[in-house]
Amino acid sequence: MSVSDLKHSLRKYEFPACAKEALNRIEQLLVGRAAPSNKQLDIAMDIISEFVFCESDRRSVRRGGGLTPLQDLQLIDIICDYLSACTNETTKNTVFLSLFGGMESQRRLKILSILASMAVSASSTPVLLAVGVWLQQMGCSSSQSLELVENVIRDHFYLNTSNQLALKSLANTAPQFVSNFITAVTELYMHDAQGTNDNKLPPKNLLEVITAWVYSNPTLCMSAQLNPAALPSGSIPMAAVTPLAGLIHWCALAPLYIDDDTEMVDVPVPFKKIKLEGESDRSLIKTVTSKPLTESEFYIKLHLGVLHSLRAGRRTHGPPTAVNAQHLAALAPVVQAYAHNVLKRGGKLQSDHKLQDCLDRIGQAVQVALANGCVYGNISNLLAALDTLPENRLLRIIIKTHQQTM
Amino acid sequence: MNPQSKSTALSVDLNNFIYGVSRRNTQNAPELTRTGLSLLKNFPAARDAVLEYFAMVFHDAVNVSITQTDYETDLGANGSLESVSIIGPELCSLGQSWAPFIAPWCISLIMDIATKKSSVPNTTLQNADPVRILLDITTQNLTLLNSEERAKCIDMMLGSWACSWAVGWVGRAEPALVAPRALQLGADAARAVLAHLANHPPATHHVRVAVLDLFHEALRDDSKPEKKRDVIPYLLNLASKSDIVLKALTQDIEQTLTDEVMERLCGVCVSQRGSAAWAEVSPAALVALLLRADVRCLLLLLRHALSNLFCRQLLEYLLQKLEYECLFPDKNIPLLMSAAEEINIVRDKLLDGNQLEKYSLARILILVSYNLPSEFVSTISYLLQYSRDDSTLALLVRIISGTITMHVPSDSPDISMDTERYQNFVKTGVEYALRDAMLSDNEIKMCFLDGSVPKDQKTYLHHFCLNIIKLLRWENSNRVPHLRTRPIGRAVEANLYRIGGALQEYTSLLRIRKECTMASLDEMPTCHALAEVLDRVDMTGTKAPPPSVEVILKVVQATVKYFFRCLHLKELMEKLRGVATACRLLRKVCGCSKVGRAAALRDLLEHAMLRHDAGPITQLTQSHTSVFHAGIIGKGVRKPNGSDSNEIPPILTTNNELLMGALTACMVSDGNSGLVEGATSVSLLLVELVSPDVMYNGLPWPDEDFTKQVSIERELYMRGALESCAVARAALRRAAAARPALCLASALLRATAATLLHRLRAYLDRHTQSAEMAKERAALTELLSTMTLGQLLPHPLSHMLELAPELTASEIVQVLRDCLWNYTRDHVPSPALFTCDSTGLHWRDPSTCKPPATYTDTLRLIIQKRISKLGHLYPIMFLNLEKEN
Repeated sequence: MSVSDLKHSLRKYEFPACAKEALNRIEQLLVGRAAPSNKQLDIAMDIISEFVFCESDRRSVRRGGGLTPLQDLQLIDIICDYLSACTNETTKNTVFLSLFGGMESQRRLKILSILASMAVSASSTPVLLAVGVWLQQMGCSSSQSLELVENVIRDHFYLNTSNQLALKSLANTAPQFVSNFITAVTELYMHDAQGTNDNKLPPKNLLEVITAWVYSNPTLCMSAQLNPAALPSGSIPMAAVTPLAGLIHWCALAPLYIDDDTEMVDVPVPFKKIKLEGESDRSLIKTVTSKPLTESEFYIKLHLGVLHSLRAGRRTHGPPTAVNAQHLAALAPVVQAYAHNVLKRGGKLQSDHKLQDCLDRIGQAVQVALANGCVYGNISNLLAALDTLPENRLLRIIIKTHQQTM
Repeated sequence: MNPQSKSTALSVDLNNFIYGVSRRNTQNAPELTRTGLSLLKNFPAARDAVLEYFAMVFHDAVNVSITQTDYETDLGANGSLESVSIIGPELCSLGQSWAPFIAPWCISLIMDIATKKSSVPNTTLQNADPVRILLDITTQNLTLLNSEERAKCIDMMLGSWACSWAVGWVGRAEPALVAPRALQLGADAARAVLAHLANHPPATHHVRVAVLDLFHEALRDDSKPEKKRDVIPYLLNLASKSDIVLKALTQDIEQTLTDEVMERLCGVCVSQRGSAAWAEVSPAALVALLLRADVRCLLLLLRHALSNLFCRQLLEYLLQKLEYECLFPDKNIPLLMSAAEEINIVRDKLLDGNQLEKYSLARILILVSYNLPSEFVSTISYLLQYSRDDSTLALLVRIISGTITMHVPSDSPDISMDTERYQNFVKTGVEYALRDAMLSDNEIKMCFLDGSVPKDQKTYLHHFCLNIIKLLRWENSNRVPHLRTRPIGRAVEANLYRIGGALQEYTSLLRIRKECTMASLDEMPTCHALAEVLDRVDMTGTKAPPPSVEVILKVVQATVKYFFRCLHLKELMEKLRGVATACRLLRKVCGCSKVGRAAALRDLLEHAMLRHDAGPITQLTQSHTSVFHAGIIGKGVRKPNGSDSNEIPPILTTNNELLMGALTACMVSDGNSGLVEGATSVSLLLVELVSPDVMYNGLPWPDEDFTKQVSIERELYMRGALESCAVARAALRRAAAARPALCLASALLRATAATLLHRLRAYLDRHTQSAEMAKERAALTELLSTMTLGQLLPHPLSHMLELAPELTASEIVQVLRDCLWNYTRDHVPSPALFTCDSTGLHWRDPSTCKPPATYTDTLRLIIQKRISKLGHLYPIMFLNLEKEN
């Protein structure tokens, strides 16, 4: 079938239907035994532009208006349908990446963001997995990924806050997506290397969900690496970055940034109890058990989860891939800046329990990571960087031990 | 396509929604809306689409509610209206994190609707339910935004020309943000926004703050020159279009335009006047603004007019414009309305302002009075009360005449009716002033509390009277053309009853004098003034309808009271002056009214005899029991203080004379006949007042024996009463002079004569030199002189007067019985004895009424017997008689 025939047959359909039809045609064009030729790729891109996103008309002239939000929604519905119906993982990822793989279109990125958010809402595993692949291929710290993640966070942790349970279950259904998602999230929060001006802290409900994910599922962080994406033939797979390093950052720095005093405000005031015989005890127990965790307690839990994940990150064969040593070493300047501030205020480094807490956590994480062989990169550099940190007994022992073994 | 059977990747809801929207109609709108709302909650990412759909729903609903004339009937039936009512509360309650999405959506939707429906009247659009709901959502969500986002949203709205009403409405939530921004717009747009904003009362404050900020900003020394150049013309232009801005600028203008600000403003004016932006700031435009401003602006203008030439010109221009505008009868000029509302300030200023202020305000007041008669009345009342100098009174005259003659063409047929109407207002004004002055006199005043009462403090009523007197003097001088119609005189005449009442109240000794009020001051100056007011008006009825009987009686009563208060004054000149005024008044009142005269005479006498001098009248018992049960015979109960002098009180005292003068004043008005008439009623009154009952009060004298047996008791009483009352005797004397009035007091004369006979007979010669005897002789002398004067004893009986002192008691008894009693008994003292001559005088011709010898023989015998001593009288008494015999 020639290009003009193809287009001609597609033009018989009105908008939603033509997109649906176009997707099938694209699949036919791109998926085959061999990698598609450049011409086929061009035709596919043409069709995507004209019939899926309606960006240009038949003469390939850019259309100003594009789709209305309602049409966007229709398109998203169709794409979802298509992705859900697609049985072959490779075909699905191929089509998905050709739809959204381009770096340039802000409109497509917007549609993708909506699509991802909708998929999260509906817990649509096929779509989420495809998005996970997309995140990985784009790079979790790329600006597109961050924008998408930000959109998802806004939709699900600010606008709609009633879906925590559904979110928590995502770790089981779409771990690759979750893993990449967390990696991107750690790029968004507490990532200011300077550490002097106050960092953006993750919202509490996001923290809660991530803690739940990591804590209940030690293999989650490694899942993106453990399950390599089914990519179209001829494409270059991008290395998955685990969220572990970022999470270690969070846990280590949390004591420095979170004020225990302000925490107390979050504790809900126990409402006035009407004294009833025999009932007072039970209600007391209830309030204790149902008391939500404070933010710092979440970080403690998350820290434990991270340590568990590190232990699970040991690889039986091949070089370690879980944590980049350089990434960990980046903690040092932040902590040093804090220590400098303490000294400037006239405090003592030894007695500053926040600082000691932070150093303890760094020490624990490094020890577990090193002991399980999860660290790759220049370990001696890491140890040297840690050596510059303020005095901490645990850290001192760890550095000593590992420097001897090297 | 059945959504159930379709393999759904996301959710049924989403599919339903997408499917439903693609074949949208009015029936499925509510259902779709509910789906949309649940999508919004569960699929926040779908918000753009859902909101787009909601926007369509709103557009539909607006269309429906605008086109439907009577949409209440099927409000429920229409899907889009129902959907809108579902959407409203939901979008309002989404919370803070949604606001950044909802608010811009609302605003762009409003702008969209407003632009599309710009042909529909604003009010219809604003009152459409969907628009209301939309505005509510907007307001609700705007408040949830942080200030930066909010400002952005409002700027977004202000950018659209079609939805100023929406800005105004939504801006109510944030007037502090909207008002200054609106002022950055062009005058027309700003006007529209501010007008809508000001529908919400709390927002007016913010409008004001914004306007004033802009103004002060422009005047600051360090502000940019173009700001200095443009802002003030802009504000004035805006004010000329917007009442709200005008109000914001002019409210509390004294605080806005302080002297310091004025100075800077003048500086800016001088430097910028030439620029193009200021071309619109013409005096005509300013005057047009001032016409709509409130009166405080005018006062401020007046304050500056004295020092600033431009202000002075502006003022004159304004006043002329006002006077011109008032030619159109149904035009409401806000400045005048405001002046009427704040008329107290205006009037105060009229009292204490400088010359220019006074004259200008008088012109304003004329216009106000012309438009609002009630203010005319109250202005008259106010100025009559509080004016303290001639110039203010002159302004009052000007206001009165100005208001009356304003715009009445001289050839108008209803001129008389109109002036009559205004005369009525003047009358009411005087009435109110009087009433209020009297009320003010009873109010507690500060100066009494802190003891700083000026020495010559006058009561309010006094001031009122002084003002009236001054006006009446001007009026009567006939030299003031404005007063040629005697507006004040006529008004006072119409209020005579009240003025009389006031005089009566202030002269009353029983008046309540409250502490620390003007009422506690000496009331006599006020009374003098009141009397003078009465004295100055015309009561004769020559120039105006004569006063009613009621009024006359009131004035008479008051005057009599005033007269007696004056009698008691210590200071002689004041007393005489007061009495003279009272007499003048009495003469005036009695001259035009017989009723008045009767009342005056009765009042005067009653007052003098019963209430003033003597104690209470004793009612003689009507039973057969005697009154001679205690005390001294003929004198009644012995006085407790024991100063029981036998002296008869003298007739000739100052007060008595003054009282007589007053009595005379009541009678003299129409010559002798009036005098006689008056004296007659005085006689009758005397009888009535002295004699305890009406029996035996007739003119004829009975047999002497009859008195002894029947009436001696009452005669003794009557003589006692008469003797103790100098006034009665003096009055009797006056009556005697006005013949034949004395005849009617015959009962009194008879009582004296009978008791004299009785007592003298009892004393005979035993007590020749005693005090009692002397008293009896004095009484006899008086009786004789009175009767002689009244021509009741013709020659030669009249000479008993000279004879009496020489006679012994027994001789006197003889003479009294034979000559006086018997003669009078046989010649009944009646007016019939007197003839009226051509001059109107009544008299008895001596030549025709010679008493027969039987009545004179006793005298003759006594003289003959004691010729040595009494001989000189014989020729006088009998010689001519002899001759004729």
